[in-house]
Formats: sequence, C-alpha cells, structure tokens
Amino acid sequence: MPDWLAALLITLLKGVLVALALLTTFAYMTLIERRLLARMQIRLGPNRVGPLGLLQPLADAIKSIFKEDLRVTMADKLVYTMAPIVAIGMALTAFGGIPAGPPGSLFGENPWVYQLDAGILALLAITSMGVYGIFLGGWASGSKYPLLGSLRSSAQMISYELGMGLSILGLLMLVGSTAFVNIVEWQAQNGWMVLFQSLGFALFLVSSFAEVNRTPFDLPEAEQELVAGYLTEYSAIKWALFQMAEYVNMITASAIMATLFFGGYRGPVFLEGLVPGISSWPIVWLVLKIAFFLFLFIWVRGTLPRFRYDQLMRFGWKLLLPLALANTMLTAAYLAFARGAGLWPLALLSLLGLLALLALSDRVRVLWNQPTGRGAADDSFPARPLGGD
Amino acid sequence: MIAFLLLGALALVGAVVTVAARNAVHAALGLVGTLLSVAGLFASLSASFLAAVQVIVYAGAILVLFLFVIMLLNAHQPVTGRDPVPFVRELAGIGGVILAGALAVIAFSYRDPQPLAQGTAALRGGTAGAVGETLLTRFLLPFEAVSVLLLVAIVGAVALVRRPAPQPDGVTDAEGVALPGELPERTAPEGGVRA
Repeated sequence: MPDWLAALLITLLKGVLVALALLTTFAYMTLIERRLLARMQIRLGPNRVGPLGLLQPLADAIKSIFKEDLRVTMADKLVYTMAPIVAIGMALTAFGGIPAGPPGSLFGENPWVYQLDAGILALLAITSMGVYGIFLGGWASGSKYPLLGSLRSSAQMISYELGMGLSILGLLMLVGSTAFVNIVEWQAQNGWMVLFQSLGFALFLVSSFAEVNRTPFDLPEAEQELVAGYLTEYSAIKWALFQMAEYVNMITASAIMATLFFGGYRGPVFLEGLVPGISSWPIVWLVLKIAFFLFLFIWVRGTLPRFRYDQLMRFGWKLLLPLALANTMLTAAYLAFARGAGLWPLALLSLLGLLALLALSDRVRVLWNQPTGRGAADDSFPARPLGGD
Repeated sequence: MIAFLLLGALALVGAVVTVAARNAVHAALGLVGTLLSVAGLFASLSASFLAAVQVIVYAGAILVLFLFVIMLLNAHQPVTGRDPVPFVRELAGIGGVILAGALAVIAFSYRDPQPLAQGTAALRGGTAGAVGETLLTRFLLPFEAVSVLLLVAIVGAVALVRRPAPQPDGVTDAEGVALPGELPERTAPEGGVRA
C-alpha cells in the first residue's frame, strides 16, 4: 500500500471515530442533561427506559428516525434540506482540529484528524460557518417565527464572534502562535493560561455560551416568544440533526476552552510522582476537561434566566467588546514595556480587572439594562410606547 | 494541484450561480460557495492565515449580513419587472470588459516582490507574522485609510437610519419634550475593528 493511501485511510478512520464518539456523547449528553436538570429542580427526570434511564437516548434515536418527515409547503426545498446538513457538518468538522495528545502519541499517529497552521483561527472560521445552518433553516421554512428566530440568532452570533475573537488576542500575543499544539506546550512550560488571562477567559466563556446558543443566550429558540425559533417547522431526523449540531458545538466549545486556557491534553504534573508519564497520556485529560465544561453548561442552564433581546445586544457591544479590547491593549502594553518582569504581574493585573468587574457589577449593569422610564414615572403619557431599540 | 483545479472550478461554478440564480438567497449562497473555494485556494497555497481570515470575515460575517438584508427586506422573491435603469446591460458589459482587461494587465505585468518559495516559507507556520509585518510597515497608510473609510461608512449608516426620538401626541419634533428617563443612545458597532 502506498504511503499516501495509508495516510488517507488512517485520517479517514480517525475522522469516522471522532464523529461516532461525538454523536454518542451527544446522545448521552441529552440524558445527562435531563437527569441533572431534574436533580437541580428536585424532580426525577427520565428513569423508565432501561436501568436509570440509560436506554432513553436509544429510544429517542429510534423515535426521531421513524417519525414522519414533514414537508412544508412554503419551504424552499433545497435549502430546507441543506440547512441541517450544513449545521451538523460544520459542527463535526470543527472538532477534528483539536489535538487530544502530543504529536505521535496515539499508537504512533497524531491524535487529531487534521491540523492547519492557523489553528485556533481556522477553528473559529469553521464554527462561524455554523451560523448558516440556523440562519438558512429559519429562512427556508417559509414561516414567520422561524424567520424571526434565525434573524435573531445570526445577529447574536455575529455580535459575539467579535468579542470571542478579541478575547483570545491577548493569549495569542503571549504564546506567539496560533497552532493548538504550541499553545498547549507553552502552557506546559509556564502554567495554565487561565492564570495569566483570567479576564480574557471570563470574556471567552461568556461569548462561548452566546455562540452555542445556550441559556442565558438561547434566544434563537425562546419558546415563550418564538414557538421554537428556527426549529419550529422541522421534525423527525432533520430536527434531530439540528439538536446534534447544537450539542456537538457545545462539546467543541468546551474542548477549545480546555485547550486554550486549561492546559489542553496535558494533565497536572504533580501526578507524575504517582504514575510516571501520566500527564502526557493522550485523550484522557482532554475528555475530563471537556466533561467539566459540559457540566458547567448544564449548571448555568439550571441557574440563570434568559436575557431579553436588547439586553443581549447591549451586553455584547457595550460590555464584552470594550472589555476584550481593553484586555488586548493591557496585554500588548505589558508585553511591550514590562516583559522583563515575568508573567505573574500580568496575572495579577488580569485577576484584579476581573475582581473589579465583579465588585462593580451593580454599577456597570445599567450599561445593558438601562431603565427606559416605563415604570412609576410613566403616568403622564401611558398610551405611547417610548420606542427606542 | 488537483485540489487547486477542483477548487478553482468550484469557485467559478459558485460565481455563475451568483449571477444566474433568480432567487436572491440562492445567489448569495452561490457567493458563499465561491468565497469558501477561494479560501480553499489560499489554504492549498499554504497561506492558511489568509484562508481563515477569508472565511471568518467574508463568508462568516459579511455574507451573513447580506442574507440578513435580503431576508429583512423580503427581497428573495424572483425579480420579474424590467430594469428601471436604461442601458444597464450595455453599461455592465463595458464595465466587465474594463475590469477583465485591468486584471489581465495586472496578471501579466505582476512581478513577485520576493521569490515564490521564499514567500511561501514566510507564510508557513500559520502565524500572522508575515502578513502583519507587511501590512503595518509597507502598507501602513492604505491600511489605516481603509479603516477610516469603514468608520465613515458606519457613521454615515447610523446617521441615515437614526430617527428622532418619538414625542408624545400633539408635540412636534421641533418643540420636543423631556422624556421621563431619556432613551439610551444608539451606538455604532465597531465594525472597523474586524474588517
């Protein structure tokens, strides 16, 4: 077998394995989410299908495959079918770029499906294509609520993409490379990035929640206002594909956060004393970190209420973006003028910024939640809405 | 090489769809295809930073805004009426020929500032170093001028769409009335940062 064919087959195999792993994780993620949310809300959750409800995902899968695939009269047939495929395709593609271990550590192969030099930038590019799935799905349904939902979601995702890209600029300046492997190795030498860029991480975390449309940013499918947003006209397997895309995006976002800020595929070094070489085992550490962030996603969903749409926009543009810019400037200035002082003063500065933000949160809240005078002072002309946003 | 030809063909197909499609959304999707293929061309020339930026900025943001406008204005029905502008086909033809001529002149008179192998080697590694250095030293003035241009466009757009604050019944805009709790100022998105 020629070399290129072997390489192609191995890459294909890795791709298929990653896709299968992601889809299985998605299936069980739905179960875990429902059980956890139930626990947080003092209910039982699904526990009838199989022991502890473990067969529930299987039942759901069978149900959505055999359900009737409704065809909407007003739909644009081609785009209507294409949208879920785009959504899941982009979601699955994105994950393949994340390294799960040091080069050559997976039975002599590299533990990633593909690697582009641009690394994190390429990944951001691919995830930014995911907005087309939601956007086109909503439009192609030929119905009002889906259209509204998709317009909202695209505005939201474009807005928060900016904050997301800006919030990692400081990190990229510190590392001096956009490739994931370099970022992870930098962290192996200097300590986890979240220490030095805590403000950047906080901004990135919030933007990630907005990018994957999870509570408190799940406006595209706000049930009370939009039925189910872009999903309204979808049923059966197409609906399931959209759900898959959402969860896979969540997994990818968790993996990105773990890789960029929490040491990626490297485990803690102090365990080396117990089991030599444990910190460079492939896959294990990344999976653990992803699991932690997935739990965080569910936890937040069980805790926070949803933003109002105008609050969402103000939060993104008036708070997140300027802070990300400030973080970038701070890091750049530090690197330009005080590089000799080591990294820890920067860590302290960043942490101070974050703490100041938390302490002042009541003061800055008016930025995105300004009272518009519809309250008690409004008696003089009640009939007319004040307009505005 | 095969990938290059394939992507080139795809880019052309997308471009034709863009022009020929009767539905504005389909046309925009054709354009997305073209832009993605061009990004693939960049990537196959190992300029993966350019490829990523091409996808993030054009396909991921600008085209989404195009689609946004198309959907908001309900412009996705096929256009059946006659063009109100006279001679539009002839003018477009002339413009196209001029553009093609200019591109041909550039293509044949272009000289590499540095040998191709050297340029590729500088771009390899994925860091934006090579691009950034060129952009901020040799092309600093055009670069800054473009950002000012974008800023002007944003300010202009905001000024155009901004309506006077609604007044209570029977009060004209000229007189004005202090509202209980002033309206929040509209803010201009800092689009210039990204593009």
